[in-house]
Amino acid sequence: MQSGEIIRAEFESGESIEFVFDANAPRGGMKHTFFTPDKKYAVQFFNNPNDAANPLIQDRIRTITGIYNPTVSEENGGAAGNTEKTAAYFRQRFCWPVGILKYPVFGIVCPTYPKNFFFGADASAVLNLKGKDKKSNWFTGKNRKYLAPAERGDFRTMLGAAISLCRSIRRLHVAGLAHSDLSCNNVLIDPKTGSAVVIDIDSLVVPNKYAPEVVGTRGYIAPEVLSTIMLDFRDPKRKLPCVQTDLHALPVLIYEYLFCRHPLIGPKIYSSANAEEDDFLCLGPRATFIEDPKDTSNRPPDLKFTINSLSDGLERLFLKAFSDGLHEPSERPTAMEWERELLKAWDKLVCCDNPACEKKWFILRDKNRPVCPFCGKRKTKEIVLLELKSEMYGRKGVYRDKNEIAVFDRMPVYDWHIFSNVRNDEKADTQMRAYIALHNGMWLLVNSGAEGMLSPSGRLVPKGSAFELKDGDFFRISAKENGLLCKVTVCNKS
Amino acid sequence: MSDYLRRLPVYLLLDCSGSMTGEPIEAVKQGLKTLLSELKSDPQALETAYLSIITFDSTARQICPLTELFSFKEPQISAGGATALGGALKVLAECIKNEVRLSTNEQKGDWKPLVFIMTDGAPTDDIDEGINALKQVSAGNIIACAAGANANTEPLKKITNNVLMMNNLTTGDMAQFFAWVSSSVKLSSKSVEAKPGEAVVLPPPPQGFVIVP
Repeated sequence: MQSGEIIRAEFESGESIEFVFDANAPRGGMKHTFFTPDKKYAVQFFNNPNDAANPLIQDRIRTITGIYNPTVSEENGGAAGNTEKTAAYFRQRFCWPVGILKYPVFGIVCPTYPKNFFFGADASAVLNLKGKDKKSNWFTGKNRKYLAPAERGDFRTMLGAAISLCRSIRRLHVAGLAHSDLSCNNVLIDPKTGSAVVIDIDSLVVPNKYAPEVVGTRGYIAPEVLSTIMLDFRDPKRKLPCVQTDLHALPVLIYEYLFCRHPLIGPKIYSSANAEEDDFLCLGPRATFIEDPKDTSNRPPDLKFTINSLSDGLERLFLKAFSDGLHEPSERPTAMEWERELLKAWDKLVCCDNPACEKKWFILRDKNRPVCPFCGKRKTKEIVLLELKSEMYGRKGVYRDKNEIAVFDRMPVYDWHIFSNVRNDEKADTQMRAYIALHNGMWLLVNSGAEGMLSPSGRLVPKGSAFELKDGDFFRISAKENGLLCKVTVCNKS
Repeated sequence: MSDYLRRLPVYLLLDCSGSMTGEPIEAVKQGLKTLLSELKSDPQALETAYLSIITFDSTARQICPLTELFSFKEPQISAGGATALGGALKVLAECIKNEVRLSTNEQKGDWKPLVFIMTDGAPTDDIDEGINALKQVSAGNIIACAAGANANTEPLKKITNNVLMMNNLTTGDMAQFFAWVSSSVKLSSKSVEAKPGEAVVLPPPPQGFVIVP
């Protein structure tokens, strides 16, 4: 076969698809990839013909493509409980196999990633990256400096990418699936828009199905998996990738997005014998979190921005994941906990007053003396906080905190800011209902489409109207059922 | 913050003897160009791989010292002369000794080097001396490729167990060889599997290449 030759492949369903043969097709550890002439789909085959012919592997992949598929609605043969809305949401966040080939050999067809996960022509002034996929280590390590500033995003968009990733992993885990090889290669991020897409879905660990023989990628493999890697695959003492090992890789990725460094690779020298031995101990049996408060042996001397600069909740989760849970898998926080704390942190983002600050945003921690942990600039502008409270079920007049939001000019307001029974997740309506505007020194809440919005005086606010948010206001934000109670606090007043 | 990245040293030993004149040497130049651009667009390779080129004809020399990919400048190469493979191995041993950082109690050492040898003939000098010199340093993983019908695989098998045979010296075959070197470096720089003492896993050789048993 010649490169460029068009080959017709056939699905198990009998339909066919064409792909372009390439003698130098990109090869991963397990598979090699060709593309359809329109580049809309990737056509993948196993490197090892024994894998392709293995009925257990085929069976697992059929299950992944069918009843476990969150990118197809239940009525179209996808996962149970999946609506077209949630399916459409996850189609943007997973590159999930859409079909299985039987000819010329067993293979998989996946959609190619959404366009924004490929670099454009102006991504870098010094490297030719046009058309290359946005693996996350372009943005989180030494390579970051080669990218155009517009590509790098800021702290807010990196936090957004982390939330997007957590949601996808939570969706896998609630279905009992484990990704098994989460890494900078298998999660692409777009810091411009703050989004993430999970790829290489075919090595998922599926309940009661033959487990994929993957180990993972260096830097993301859970310490217990690495520590037992020399044992036979079938040895009961050998630890294999599972949901708990994903829960090690997930915070490694989140930590990299937020801090642009690896949580376990620090100055500590574990062995002077050779690099391989040192690395094995560093990421395996003796792994130490660079910010571990109980063991500072791996702490870089020049650490500035630390987990202490994030929200209390995120600091607690990182300590659980990398201090308590590093060698104790059952202690690791779940993807749902990560998603919840990241969303809370998202609500507490404030803009850095320094126009030259590269990270632009930081998480508000000290309300009385807010300082940007990245550039060290003390925030001097006032900060308006909205505490949202929900009425406890069956106990009229008793409220509990839902969340706290630091507002900013032109902040959109959604249903989850208005109603106690709506959560910011894949099911929520993403129609903007209102927005915050800073106008002539006044903070306004502008109703652009919410029914039954109420002002602090209890009057109905029609669409197109606005009211001022003043320090100390405490009011019900919507006359409709499940409307939240809102308390306004202005802090850091000049 | 300082980074604590380990380097992956990659040495290319390229035969530039007289028999490489014409299409073969042009194919090598083109292959190098593609190799560099491929590796520079892979984030893990760009972070960890450092490249050096040693050429050999009647003598052997390091034409590019071990350099990070980003700053690597394409070398000028031309063909002519004999096939001093033995000399090249001695130069390699010397370079590894001088350039590759060892693990000590004070510093994080480099990964074991990855060495690719490409030759289209039979060595015209004594290679045993070179092999002995290599034994004195930790040379890591060596892959030798015998290119074209006149290449002799016997001496290569004395250097390493990983010997590949490429049937032709055409531009297409050479491009495939360099594409394979590129995937090997990419794979090694991401999987540098932390299994102490284990050889790196390389991707299967391209179509038309035979692994010499």
